[in-house]
Order: sequence, then C-alpha cells, then structure tokens
Amino acid sequence: MKVLLLVIQLCLIENAFGEGKVIYEYKKYEKFDLGNLEVQGELIAPGDISVRERDRKKFNLDFFERKDFNSFVKQDIEAFR
Amino acid sequence: MKWMVFLALLGTSSVMAKPLHETYFEKKYYYSALNEFFFETYNKPITEKVVNKLEEILFFTGVEILEDYDEDLLLKYPSSSIRFIIGRKYYQRGHTKKALKYLENIHPKHRYFPEAKMVEAQVYFKMGDKSKEESAVTKCVKSASVLESEAANEKIARYYKMIEEVCLINAARNSFTRGEYNQALANYEKIPKTSYKWPYVLLEKAWVHYQLKDYNRALGLLSTYKSPLLDTYFFPEAEYLSALAYFRLCLYDDSLIILNEYYQSYRPRFAQLHKVLSRHKKSRTFFYDALVEEADGFNANEEFVKKIFTRIKKQIRFSLDSNTIYKLNKEINTIHAKESKEVQLELMPHLADVRENIKTKINYNAKKDIFDFLQTVPMYSAELFKLNLEIVSRKRDLVYKSSELAVDKKKRTRGEFANVKRSSTEHFWKFEGEFWADELGDYSLGLKSRCNEVKVEDK
Repeated sequence: MKVLLLVIQLCLIENAFGEGKVIYEYKKYEKFDLGNLEVQGELIAPGDISVRERDRKKFNLDFFERKDFNSFVKQDIEAFR
Repeated sequence: MKWMVFLALLGTSSVMAKPLHETYFEKKYYYSALNEFFFETYNKPITEKVVNKLEEILFFTGVEILEDYDEDLLLKYPSSSIRFIIGRKYYQRGHTKKALKYLENIHPKHRYFPEAKMVEAQVYFKMGDKSKEESAVTKCVKSASVLESEAANEKIARYYKMIEEVCLINAARNSFTRGEYNQALANYEKIPKTSYKWPYVLLEKAWVHYQLKDYNRALGLLSTYKSPLLDTYFFPEAEYLSALAYFRLCLYDDSLIILNEYYQSYRPRFAQLHKVLSRHKKSRTFFYDALVEEADGFNANEEFVKKIFTRIKKQIRFSLDSNTIYKLNKEINTIHAKESKEVQLELMPHLADVRENIKTKINYNAKKDIFDFLQTVPMYSAELFKLNLEIVSRKRDLVYKSSELAVDKKKRTRGEFANVKRSSTEHFWKFEGEFWADELGDYSLGLKSRCNEVKVEDK
C-alpha cells in the first residue's frame, strides 16, 4: 500500500512541473510606419531647460569670535591663591 | 633655700601666664602659633592687640592656610588680612556687594591692598561702574609698584609686579568687552616683553586687532608663538584665530594649511595629554609629585605634557603653596629635633594635616588647570572643522560661478608694506626668516585681501 501511494505522489509531481512549461515565440520581422502614427493632443517644443534650478546650499556658519575675556580674568585671579 | 623655691615658683607662674601661642611664636613655630592663637582667643573679646598679633603671625604664615578655617571664626577678627580672604571668597561666589564690604575696608598700607584692589576692580566691572573700576585699577597699579620697590626679596617683588600687570591686563580685557579696542591696546602695550604674562597677552592682543579688522597684525602677533623661545606656550585658540584671520582675508589655502597643521601636529599632542590624565585622573598625589618633587613619570615622547607642567609651575599660586610646604617642613623638622615627645605629640598632627591639605590643594589645582585647558580642545577642533566646511563650500561656489578671487595665487608673495597698518608706538622690523628676541610680538603680515571676485574670462 505504501509503495502504491509513493508511486501516485511521484506521478502527481511530474505532472505539476509539466503543466507550467510555456514557449514564447516573437515575430521574426515587424515594420513600423512612423509617418502614419498619430498622437492625440497638442505638440509643443520645450522652450527652456526642463530641469528646475535650485539654490546651492550655502553654509554661512557663525564662527566663534571672542567678545570678552571674562574666563581669563577669573583664571588669573584664581592663579594667585 | 625657701627663697629659691619661691623664685622658681614665680618663674613658673610667669611662664604659665604667657599664652602658648606667644611661646610658639617666639620659637618661630608660626603655623603652630596660628592654630593655638585661634584656640586661645576665639571666645574672648577681640581687642586691637589681639588683631595686631594675628596680623603678625599671618605675616609669616601667609593667608593660604586660612582657606580651611571656618568663615564665622575668621569674621570675629576685624583685620585687613581676614577682610581680604573673606572679600575674595564672596567675589568668587558672585556676591558682589558683600565682597565690596570687605575689600573696600583694607588698610591702604597693608600688603594685600593691591591684590584686594585687583579683585575690587572686577567687582565694579561686573556692576557696570566704570569710574570706580578705573579708580581701583589705578590704586592697584600704584600700590603694587610702591610695595614692589620696598620688597624684602626678589620673590615678593615678583609677586607685586605680577599684581600690577594683571591689574593692567584686566583693565584691557574690560575695555575689550566694552568694545573700546584702542583703550584695550593701550593697556596691553604697558606689559613688558619680560613679563611672565606677556606670552598670554599676545593672543588677547591678536583678538583686539581681529575686532579692529587688522587681520595682518593679528596674524603677525600669533606667528610669535612659532618662536623657539615660546615653545611651552601653545593654545588651540591661537591656531583657530590664525585660520579665521586668513579666512577673513579670503586666503583660503593659507587657512587650510593651518587646519592641516592643527590636525597633524596638535591633535596627537592633545591625545597624548589625555592619555596621561586618564592614567592618573583619580590620583591624589601624581600632579603634586610631577610639579614639586620632579619625580615625573613621563615617557620621552611625552615632552608636550612636561611643558604643560612647566607652565603651571610659573604661577604665583604654585609658588606660594610650595613655599608654605617648605616652611611647614622646616617647622616640623625643628620641632622634631628640639622638642620633647609630649610637645611633638601636641603639635605634629595639626602640622601634618595642614601640609597634607596644601599638597592636596596643589594636586587639585594642577589637575583642574590641565583639564580646563584640555576642555578647550574639542570646542576649537569643532570650530576649525566648521571653518574647513565653509572654505570648501566657498571654493566650490567660485568654481560654479566661473570666478576666482582677486589676486592670482601664482602671484602670491609674502605681502607688501602697503598692507601693514602701524601705530606711532609700534616698532617695525623686517622679518628675515628668523626669530629674534627684540622683535618678538611686533610682527605684522602684509597680505592683501583676496575677497573681491573676478570672472575667470575677464582676466
């Protein structure tokens, strides 16, 4: 009985693989008549570059500039005792 | 025989009547005398005689050790030394009015009068009272100068000279804060090149010239740090200011050279310092030993760290503290050699404690100074990084705009005299590629600003 079930299972697997096999064929030669092609709508030529300009990133960072020497004063007074 | 016994008893009673602090004072055990003095007088009426005695003892001990005494105890004694210590403490805590109450009442002939005026000037600066600040500075400078000329030895003279100079420098700094740049320069100019403070003043003067938009003079002043005579002085701030001054002149390539030097030369040094500090961060003796006992545990490649310690050793505070240790050791040794076991047991524990406290203080101050210095490094590294970013961004913009800066890089020379701004009091030396002591601090570059842009095709 076990042997029979195994044979049936094997047959089913073989059938499953067999069904999915599709063969595609392409045309060997095809001609397009571009002159006869028609596009519906208004045809215009771009008058400007189509990429939008964007401002370049400018850092303009604030750099440290001394406005006082208070920490130096404190250090000097403490350096006496 | 009876008479002899009577006389002996009389002698003993007269000795007993004499306060113990007087006995110690006569034997020159000044630190023991001071301690005993407080024990014997704190719960008695404080007369003028008592105050005078305290001043007499403090003349020999200095006021450094009073830092550990209870403030309420000290306030019982209306002496100038005590007022000075208390006033200074209030200033450090930011209590300006209380600080003034004590600092203003120090006798003009007192040895701490100049130092008190130095602190007082800063109190008035904080309060925004310019005329009283200037008056305190004038009094500080004059009294320090008089006491310097009367000083008993070179060390005391040096202390008063330092007070005089710091008063002038602080006045310059306060003028700088108010935006009075020429007034600031006038005060900085009074500091002689021989002064211990002079190398520090260079950086501050460079900032003043920077604010006056005299970038060439700022760069010249900062180039002084390259002299072999000043090799123990290195400040990340000076490197940053140089790079910034070049940047303001639109000399981007020069700015980048400074940046690269900083990253290649300074950063490894700071890493080295950081390594040493982390190794001894928790030590209570390492910094003291490295400073006082010269038993430094540095490797040959830690020359930079040694130089930092050399800088700290030049401070007045270190000099005063190490002198206190020297005097304490002398007192301990004398007591050990001359006094009985009972007296030794009575006096030694206090003296040992005081000595230990001063050693801990030296250790702490050195550690704090080095850590404070090290803390400035990340800030200036970050500022230099920002500068780098801005330079790269600006150079890229020039490329996109097909522009370049006014002066062609190929024509770049060492500068022209026409670009050197000079006041009537400033010396003029032609730098011939070598540093000479006379011309240190008088340098100015003569570089032309490149900040005007020209179109590449217009050239």
